[in-house]
Amino acid sequence: MTFVDQQTGKQTSIPAHNYSFDQLADIYNRARVDYIVPMPMNGKRMADYVRHYDIDLDASAIALTNNKTELGVIMTGIRGKRSWATRLGVIPEQRGHKIGQFLMELVIEKSRERHIRHVQLEVIKGNEPAYCLFIKLGFQEVRELLVIRRPPGRLRDTLAPVGAVVTPLVDEDIPSYLLQRDPAVAWTEETESLLHVGKLKGLHAKLPSGESGWAIFQCLPFQLTHFVLSPSASSDLAQALLYAIHTQYPMQDTKIENFPAQHPTWPVYQKLGYLESFRRIEMVLELAPDPKRGQNISQPLRHAI
Amino acid sequence: MALIIVIEDNALISRLAEKLLTRAGHQVVVAETGEDGLTAIFEYLPQLVLMDLGLPDIDGQTVIGLLHQQAAHKTTPVIAFTAWPAETAYKMAKAYGCDGVITKPINTRTFAAEVETFMQPKPVLAGTPHIPDDLKLQ
Repeated sequence: MTFVDQQTGKQTSIPAHNYSFDQLADIYNRARVDYIVPMPMNGKRMADYVRHYDIDLDASAIALTNNKTELGVIMTGIRGKRSWATRLGVIPEQRGHKIGQFLMELVIEKSRERHIRHVQLEVIKGNEPAYCLFIKLGFQEVRELLVIRRPPGRLRDTLAPVGAVVTPLVDEDIPSYLLQRDPAVAWTEETESLLHVGKLKGLHAKLPSGESGWAIFQCLPFQLTHFVLSPSASSDLAQALLYAIHTQYPMQDTKIENFPAQHPTWPVYQKLGYLESFRRIEMVLELAPDPKRGQNISQPLRHAI
Repeated sequence: MALIIVIEDNALISRLAEKLLTRAGHQVVVAETGEDGLTAIFEYLPQLVLMDLGLPDIDGQTVIGLLHQQAAHKTTPVIAFTAWPAETAYKMAKAYGCDGVITKPINTRTFAAEVETFMQPKPVLAGTPHIPDDLKLQ
């Protein structure tokens, strides 16, 4: 079996918009069936993913054989002059034919067509074949990101912040709080993502020291996720905010994706029962302006903790 | 004989698990999603749940958290059934109150016996040759 078109001699692909969300989820699941950390999706989850993370289905693709059998998938998020390669997967029995490289080059090409200057992605730490491919294509490491979990459960009283005054944020005010954020966050946690996912709740805390700040998070029926703390929150403030959240929702499972591994508040999360599930490496490829396509508008490379 | 619910989205794996457990004399109900799994647990009151941690709708860990909040199911043994790296699997299983871990791929010769180990009154961890002591569940 080959993924080279017999007539043109070129690798073939088809834009992802030709498939339903159920079909895309099925192809993705088949491609990731033996992945280090399998994260299967159904059609609804795929539809949400596309909407929440600004996936452009014209710039996302399915690699095909010449008899139109699916070989792999890649999805591309686009925000302004940045793109995000995600959900890359190749069907296990089709690996070893550079299909992953073909799909990644497709994303880079689609990004150039859109005058994008930076392509970013995350790769699970330990996925050496994918990591090596990205290095080969010129991507550079930015930082490590954690996926962290906290099982449901009540916190010990000894963790309660002394004298902190905690009040809920008005839901309508949440977007304006998010504008105060440090922009150096992972794609899935950017303000655009949070505003798309919705169901956001927020708390404000003031400590006896005078320090104050806020936390915003997504509250799903069974899970808390997408946490944001106000920039430069001290450990005491972070503890007050997290304590308040988990006291208010003691029986909710919590999952936070793409939390910077070097973030100074990570020990506070650990103190409150969070565990590292696995790590990702965030990588960026800076695209040189293509004179044939005109001058690209420069976008500063984002550096983060 | 026990009633076992297998919550697993990969049909090849769930069919194999069902076949091996049925052959060993157990009754098996398969659910492909977390939501269907919870419904099946509430309906059938199983003696044991085999729980894939990566499900297409609700995370396996979230399902386990929900299950443990139900008085009727607090003591139902839940076994994490996963292809995750062993260290991650055991750490998560321990944190979420699972009674054990069975890693994929399935060993067809030992699978049923391994599952049955967790039906004992005091389950012991099976199939964990290289797990550090502090990650062991019991």
